[in-house]
Amino acid sequence: MTTATVRTLDDAVVADLEAIMGEPGSVLTNISSRTNRTRVPAPFPVHRWGEYVPAAVVLPRTAEQVSEIVKLANRASIPVVPRAGGTGLNDGAVPLRGGIILDVKRMNEIKEVDLADRCVTVGPGISMMKLNEELSKYGVFHPDTPASYPCSLVGGRIACSGFSLLGTRFGHTRDLVMSFEIVLPTGEIIRVGDGGGKKIRKSSTGYHLKHLFMGHQGTLGIVTEATLEIVPKPEAEFAAFFAFDDYLKAHRTLHHIVTSGIATLAGTVLFDEKKIEYLRRDDEAFIPMPSWVNSIVATALYGTKAEVTAASKILMEKGRAEGGRYTGDHMAVGDWASRHDRYANPLHGRIPGGQVVPMSWHCEDASLNWTVLPKVREEWTAIAQRYIDEWGIFDNWGIYCYTSASYKPWGDYLAEIDIGIWEEKLDDDNWAAWVRFKSELAQVTLKYGGSLSNCHGTTRAGDAEHVPEEMGGGWDVMKKVKRMLDPNNIMNPGKQMLDEAYQD
Amino acid sequence: MTIEKEQSDYSSKPPTDGQQQFVERWRENGYNCYSSGHKFCREVCPVMQVTRNENHTPTAFMANIIAMDRGLLDIEDVADDYVHCVQCGGCEIRCPNTLFVGDFYQARTETVKVVRAARALMVDKGLDRDGWKLWNRLTRDLTNEPVLGTTDEGQPQGQAYVRNWAEGLDIPIGGETIMFVDCEAAFYRTSNTRATAQVLQKAGVEFGLMNEQWCCGGPAAEMGYVEQSRAFAEHNVNDWRASGVKRIIAIEPHDYIHFTEDYPAYFGPDFDFEVVQIVELVAELIKEGNLVLDKPINKTVTYHDPCRLNKRKNIHEAPRFILNSIPGLTFKDVDHVTQWSYCSGGGGGLSIEKPDITAEISRTRLARARELGVDMLVSACVWSERPLATAGHDVGIEVADIIELVAESAGIDIGGRRGASELEATR
Repeated sequence: MTTATVRTLDDAVVADLEAIMGEPGSVLTNISSRTNRTRVPAPFPVHRWGEYVPAAVVLPRTAEQVSEIVKLANRASIPVVPRAGGTGLNDGAVPLRGGIILDVKRMNEIKEVDLADRCVTVGPGISMMKLNEELSKYGVFHPDTPASYPCSLVGGRIACSGFSLLGTRFGHTRDLVMSFEIVLPTGEIIRVGDGGGKKIRKSSTGYHLKHLFMGHQGTLGIVTEATLEIVPKPEAEFAAFFAFDDYLKAHRTLHHIVTSGIATLAGTVLFDEKKIEYLRRDDEAFIPMPSWVNSIVATALYGTKAEVTAASKILMEKGRAEGGRYTGDHMAVGDWASRHDRYANPLHGRIPGGQVVPMSWHCEDASLNWTVLPKVREEWTAIAQRYIDEWGIFDNWGIYCYTSASYKPWGDYLAEIDIGIWEEKLDDDNWAAWVRFKSELAQVTLKYGGSLSNCHGTTRAGDAEHVPEEMGGGWDVMKKVKRMLDPNNIMNPGKQMLDEAYQD
Repeated sequence: MTIEKEQSDYSSKPPTDGQQQFVERWRENGYNCYSSGHKFCREVCPVMQVTRNENHTPTAFMANIIAMDRGLLDIEDVADDYVHCVQCGGCEIRCPNTLFVGDFYQARTETVKVVRAARALMVDKGLDRDGWKLWNRLTRDLTNEPVLGTTDEGQPQGQAYVRNWAEGLDIPIGGETIMFVDCEAAFYRTSNTRATAQVLQKAGVEFGLMNEQWCCGGPAAEMGYVEQSRAFAEHNVNDWRASGVKRIIAIEPHDYIHFTEDYPAYFGPDFDFEVVQIVELVAELIKEGNLVLDKPINKTVTYHDPCRLNKRKNIHEAPRFILNSIPGLTFKDVDHVTQWSYCSGGGGGLSIEKPDITAEISRTRLARARELGVDMLVSACVWSERPLATAGHDVGIEVADIIELVAESAGIDIGGRRGASELEATR
């Protein structure tokens, strides 16, 4: 069963929505409200924008309102698409079949700060930056810090099972969300955790439903409340960047650092040659470095002063073991401090010949093991070059690899190749080429035993069609779960090949 | 129910010339944001913080240009959205494009200009809002803004009353330096104007008033009435030239923006006047010993960074220096970068069209002040002081202008009316 696309709502349905909401201005059917909730930052086929415009937008404040809207959508067979920050780098919040956008930005309350049992309960529409402004009064913070820290919202973090730049030290979204309330695709409001307790971190009761719904990408419901971890603000931070003349030396240095046993290591990042070339070329805030530098390893420690001081000596030794050169305090402090903003700097790129144009950013966010990073880098770079040469609308902004396991720095990495796309020039031909390009990158990941997406989800063309392959035997289970929980396929339909769940 | 424009169809809605020109002028700037779409600006935007409606985000203001270009929207579809902006510039300085690459590519995000251009297009097409229409008609008739009300024509406002605030202060007309008196300060919060004039007199600064001071024209420009703004600017510049004026003291941040950004754009290199902002001038007078502050003010205060000083002109050190120079004052500061997301909601014509949103923005600002445990919120923008003082009344926090505090500490008996701040006196 493929859910039919819904572009307009009957007056009666709009009246029902207004009755549920009971607040002027909370049911929006005007064209500007719908047009402005059609896309996310991920590359978008702007030439076909009109085909994705939803039928209506609703701005709820309570779980009960969300529940009633979802029940109405089931009765009327209208797709429902949850939208939090709308800052995703995959298509989770893009309404592929129109319908009702359930925009949770007004659910941005901080409901409880519990300093005794160390957690905070919030609505899904709050950003981590705003939450931490409040928490800073108490000397604590919620350490989920993606590059989109100032703009992504808690609901989207759960829907995408997000990655935190400090995840190696403090955990990622799945570790930092203790429990959450979710409205199921049929309208029931439930709370899921490791077991049943709202503030319980570890349980062996029943199935671990939190993990089923974590990363649901809007296909299994709408999160309406979450209880989050808070941790003491670290007393000390120590960042260090090491420069290398050879990628493999930098790659080996990563291994030395992550296996050193430093418990305060919050993250490491490997920059490849293309990344440095891009930053040198087009980032006016990037600190100049000697021409021999072609790779960088960036690291950061967080903890008590005593811990960090001792660990910093080990870190400096490991960072230099393969000939790495410390790049200086300016870069260590300045570049690490700008880690949130810098992610968004690819607002421009260059087409062959060097002309600067506004470009959209695709971040291929694979999970890959350390051993395969050099091979994947080679193959991704070659694919990118082929499409750049052939189509003239792409740019390669290089590769970052971030340590990605929670609480332990070794083993696997979020490996991202950043591709620029000149959206203004998109048409059906080059958009199809882009999807093929994207798909080829994904296939490299699968070839090397990786996972397609570390933190953005697999909801877009070029990812979605490979989900069954990655999931293997688990794909059938996924389909059964989807169909059982969402019998009418109204919850964010068309994503991740999940329409297959409804084929009898 | 039928909803139009469900499909992208480039040819179905040929835009009018004005809209086409708007799109062509701003398309590249629009794509600079659209291509990113990361929305770092969203939680900084004072309006968005209150409405939580994505239509009111700077990102939407930019994306609308692209949607118009693609035939999905017309200006009439987004006219009300473009009203939801105070033109504070917070989005521009929080934009990664500005922070990292904008100057490099000469492609800085310019949301304030986009909003003003969209509003100008609305005026051209008769889509301007009723409140703004009335406000600007009365401003044209009175040659000053109708700050005492748009309904009662008997109010003492307009050209005949523009110097009433100065009664007894013996300020000459003309001279090389003139003090430009903002409309809100001339008619509504006259304590601000009287304090400023007397502080300057006490410090020995020679200045005069204009022969015939019209509104600076800034509010008209902000609401999209470009011709009216330009006509007012021409009058004022002619008045200055007729009196041999060389230097303008801007006592209000909106005027300062208009004189330093719009007037030069209107007149090009011919605009050769020196424009001085009052907080920078007063800080200098204190530093040089020309103004002695020796009367203690025993209050606990915090400072509200006016958007146009802090976010748009990077003026944030002088007011902090001034507050730290006042004896007796306990100053609980909030840094100017944190204040990128603060606002009174009083700018950009918002308070005329959407007074409820302005009031909510001011309530939010006062709630932040209240957490600091202060008695007083000090601003340096008379336009912010009315909504802030109204919100302050409800939470028991007084709102004052920084120059009023300076005057008090300099032993000056200010006089005049304190507008909404007088509400506190009745508590």
